[in-house]
Amino acid sequence: MRNWGGSVVHFNWRHTVYGYVQSCYTPLAQRCYSHGGKLESDEEFDARWVTYFNKADIDAWELRKGMNTLIGYDLVPEPKILEAALRACRRLDDLASAMRILEAVKDKSGPHKKIYPYLIQELRPTLDELGISTPEELGMD
Amino acid sequence: MSLAKPAMRGLLGKRLRFHLPIAFALSVVAAAAFKYGVTEPRKQAYADFYKQYDATKEFNNMREAGIFESVRPTGK
Repeated sequence: MRNWGGSVVHFNWRHTVYGYVQSCYTPLAQRCYSHGGKLESDEEFDARWVTYFNKADIDAWELRKGMNTLIGYDLVPEPKILEAALRACRRLDDLASAMRILEAVKDKSGPHKKIYPYLIQELRPTLDELGISTPEELGMD
Repeated sequence: MSLAKPAMRGLLGKRLRFHLPIAFALSVVAAAAFKYGVTEPRKQAYADFYKQYDATKEFNNMREAGIFESVRPTGK
């Protein structure tokens, strides 16, 4: 499992069945209970990351750090997060990172082949506006 | 024709929840199969062999065969 090393996978151990712990079937992808506070919802998580990449004066390190952290989670980022990241690449004049982000989310999808086409569909307006080619369009896949 | 939104969260967790119990169960089965298919028959074979083993008789056979240096075959 290629994402084993970086992924943070948390089972939701809610039910106890037949005396052993059985995980609940609503997956909570990545939030930690370590601070004992309220659990962050998916929308709050997404909003936090969109805000991170929307920082007007984001620098290259923060872009790389953000993407690497995001890729470490047990999820494929939402289109709105990726859009904010691609716009950050535009502000940094970094086409290479923009295309790398596309490659990364394709790889992150693993065996789930329907995710990447959906993401490209959702990102198409942004890709066209920013003039970002996909690796497939350039024959680099 | 626009694509529907697929599941994008918790995919690895789902996979592990499915595969890890199976992997654990298969490992236990493999260990049990080896124990009862290999080690227990082996132990039983040794036990059966030594149940009727006459050490003195075997010693004398070996002695007559002349393999020892400390005792010569009888009659020499």
